[in-house]
Amino acid sequence: MIDKPHVDWFAISPSLALLIAAGMLLMIAVFVPAGPRRAVAACTGFAGFVAAFVFAVVVDVKSPVATTIVHDSLFRDRWAALAQVLIAGSGAVAVLVSYRERLRDEHIAEYFALLTAAGAGMAFFVQASNLMTLFLGLEWFSIALYVLTAIDIDLIGSLEAGLKYLVVGAFGSATLLFGSALVYGETGQLSFDKIGSYGHGHASMLVVGLAMILVGLAFKASAAPFHMWTPDVYQGAPTPVTAFMASATKIAALVVTYRVLAVAFPQDEHLWRYAIAVIACISLAWGNLAALVQRNVKRILAYSSVSHAGFMLIAVAAASPLGERALMYYLIPYAAMSLGAFAVVAARERELGVPVTLQNLAGFGWERPLLGVSMWIFLLGMLGFPLTGGFIGKFYVFAAAYNHGFWWLIVAGVIATMISAYYYLGVVRAMYFRDAAELQLAPAGGSPPRELLLGLGVLICVAVTVGSFFAVQPLIDVARSAAAALPL
Amino acid sequence: MHGPDIQWYVILAGLLFSIGALGVMLRRNPLIILLSVEIMLNSANLLLIAFSRLHGREDGQIFAISVMAVAASEVVVGLGLIVAMGRRHVELDVDKLRTLRG
Repeated sequence: MIDKPHVDWFAISPSLALLIAAGMLLMIAVFVPAGPRRAVAACTGFAGFVAAFVFAVVVDVKSPVATTIVHDSLFRDRWAALAQVLIAGSGAVAVLVSYRERLRDEHIAEYFALLTAAGAGMAFFVQASNLMTLFLGLEWFSIALYVLTAIDIDLIGSLEAGLKYLVVGAFGSATLLFGSALVYGETGQLSFDKIGSYGHGHASMLVVGLAMILVGLAFKASAAPFHMWTPDVYQGAPTPVTAFMASATKIAALVVTYRVLAVAFPQDEHLWRYAIAVIACISLAWGNLAALVQRNVKRILAYSSVSHAGFMLIAVAAASPLGERALMYYLIPYAAMSLGAFAVVAARERELGVPVTLQNLAGFGWERPLLGVSMWIFLLGMLGFPLTGGFIGKFYVFAAAYNHGFWWLIVAGVIATMISAYYYLGVVRAMYFRDAAELQLAPAGGSPPRELLLGLGVLICVAVTVGSFFAVQPLIDVARSAAAALPL
Repeated sequence: MHGPDIQWYVILAGLLFSIGALGVMLRRNPLIILLSVEIMLNSANLLLIAFSRLHGREDGQIFAISVMAVAASEVVVGLGLIVAMGRRHVELDVDKLRTLRG
């Protein structure tokens, strides 16, 4: 008998479900004829994400006590499980939005295979409990996303975005890897727990390694000044892919950033707390100011996602149970709002066949009242308007910052919110308040038929955005039990 | 057998990492940029292996091997993109990739 580590298959079931779906999709690409392929592939992808969602919920319910599994390489706790729930939910909505995307029919199954593989990588990444699983998870979903970004090869912009994402992303992961190597060199340990209990927390090699790991994760979370790829990639990628990236990648990167800092580097808390606070400030300033001058709606939303990374990093900088709750809660409406907003952009893009700008958004609100109202809700939610979860998210983040005396972060956040009103309301204005002469109605031949699946995805997002305002107490309780898994 | 002390490995790895990082930032041909990323990843590998010998633990070496596999797949994607761009007669110069601007 050889001694082998015990594998807790149940705890990794969300990743496995998505991985199996990805494998089946690759088989579908080969064996299912072109006619029904799109429908079969989309159903399989959707089923994979729903299965991962259900498994993650069950794991969340059944893991009240945080443990490490598979020879201390992965965590089984509610912090990871809740993040997996959100990632799987985002993925399921992204499949709905993708269904009618103008991708070549012969490669549609590969598209969904990559989407589920990216989801599986993210589900693995949020469980990572040592430097090796951290790096492998990061690369797993990143490589899938590089290909997804460039998948629309008929479009020059898509290829260009893919190459830019690959180069910048690889630079970020190489930085993270070098930082991990330095931390390993100083402590002789790979697992976060053991690094956290290392005696000399201020050794220079450890601090340099921490800084490089932070930079690598900030690239993925698209926090300024490491965000330069974000607008180009969000603009060039197919819109459903952008929707998935904007929500799921952000969830994975921020959840893991907090976990790495809190578990592996508690001794350097006074250092990383200020570093994160500064990054948050720069993200808020840069994201909002750069969004003001954009005309392309996807670029506006990209810069808005940079500024939201700033808001969420405020919660990380607070480094307290309140900050943990605020981060987890903020991610719920944020994921729904950004998915929904990009889904509406995708709908307009398919009507017109050209990139959506503030100009050609004119009249959209009257033409498609349901999508128009939904876009209203998403943008007001991102602005932090009451009656949406965005309001409570921002409130909670500011409360966490206030508790730790970061009053200057609150000032920055409030100013950023005021500035952001200009471009969020600018999009709403473009949809509704234009002269009839400026209206750009759908091209001749009438509007394309209504997309039920995309509409369904948008409705789910609206329900979560508004629902997270009214169901705030249960969601906070869920976030609280997730945060209880972390040491700080 | 005694090799050089650990600080020499750290210095060499740091040097390689800087060369790679500068290459990514300064060169304009995407092929050279991919090559520079490889240098960055391999400098980290060198460091991992050196520390793994220093601490007498094998996990660093396992890490390095898996990094090699990951780096290879990353390069495959990168080369695939470059080939696709070449087929569409896009000029292979990152300064001229300016379709996406705001």
